[in-house]
Amino acid sequence: MVADEPTFARLMVAAQDGDKAAGNVLLTEVGVWLERYFRRRVPPHQIDDLVQEVLIAFYTKRATWDPSRPFLPWLAAIARYRWVDHLRKVYKHDAKELMDDDAVEDSEEEVVMARVSLDRLLSGLPEKQASVIEMVKITGLSIREAAEKTGQSESLVKVNIHRGLKKLAAMVEEVE
Amino acid sequence: MTMEKQQTREDLIAALTEDMTPVQRVNPAQGAWLIAFAAIVASVCCIVIFEFWTGMFTGEASAFYWITNGLLLLLGAASTSGLVASALPRVGSRGNAPYWSAAMLGMAPLTAIITVFSLEMNHDHTSGLPSVLADPLTWYWECGLYGSIAGIVVALASVLYLRRGAPVALERAGWLTGLASGSLGALAYNLTCPLDTVAHVGIWHTVPVLVWSVIGRLAVPRLIRW
Repeated sequence: MVADEPTFARLMVAAQDGDKAAGNVLLTEVGVWLERYFRRRVPPHQIDDLVQEVLIAFYTKRATWDPSRPFLPWLAAIARYRWVDHLRKVYKHDAKELMDDDAVEDSEEEVVMARVSLDRLLSGLPEKQASVIEMVKITGLSIREAAEKTGQSESLVKVNIHRGLKKLAAMVEEVE
Repeated sequence: MTMEKQQTREDLIAALTEDMTPVQRVNPAQGAWLIAFAAIVASVCCIVIFEFWTGMFTGEASAFYWITNGLLLLLGAASTSGLVASALPRVGSRGNAPYWSAAMLGMAPLTAIITVFSLEMNHDHTSGLPSVLADPLTWYWECGLYGSIAGIVVALASVLYLRRGAPVALERAGWLTGLASGSLGALAYNLTCPLDTVAHVGIWHTVPVLVWSVIGRLAVPRLIRW
């Protein structure tokens, strides 16, 4: 079971004061919360890497939480920032394609939920941007293949992915 | 210290727990004071270099001079308030008061341009009197330069504070840094400037805001990325 808001807040106050025991429980609970958070946002094989990244960011920036404000929105903002950064990196370095066994690692329900969540996000983008992001970033087609399939030039595919991801980041920033 | 990813999450949590030390919370009020202090330092530097313009207290300063400086002060306050809040991660809407304040300040250069053109159109070119465009005060651009330079002090303080925090909307933080640096830098220099015509104040006393907005948007995000 994941800790609730008051528990998180209490542990965080203690951790900010240097309490190692509270810090350890907090980091573990935050890890569980983050795992759930990312389950619908990134392929399963990237979750642990991203959770570790956010845990480091959480630890490094723990002084930026104000005890008079709720804890979970603060954590969600950090998680989202790292997630968007992760998306950018994946795009920039043309990371490896989704692995075949990704889907079977997770329960069917989660795969469906991930798909619904993704569709909801992509529906906010113009069709040209959403289709190439889906082809290149999710299905794993190359830029050239996506260009052939959509009739867009390769540079236009790149521009549309870039703009789409940027817009996606802004949407994620605004809503949620 | 910089922590690296570990083989497993448990190893990472153990390492982070081991290093857990008390931290001093990032306080937006302290950030606001730091930026206000930077604005005062910039003003003192300008006064030392250019001398304080006493004319503003002897009734010489035009109403437009006061209005423009008042708008710069309000923009500086609104953008500083937004900037220090943006250093703490949060979700939801963040308010757009700084942008409305910037739009209101935009009335100053707009008024200047309209005034210049309307005066020029109705100017009697046969009378031999100099036109607004021929007035050297209209073209005294150095005030814009000095105001922009004064903004560096505010920009440094803003970036310093943002780097301590964890801004999650980098572009917004960049814009706000630009608006705060430009408005407070311009205000710092304007305290020393005796040129108070509509054309001069409306354009050259506000141009640092434009200059710094562009610099802030382009340069600041990469300085505060974490």
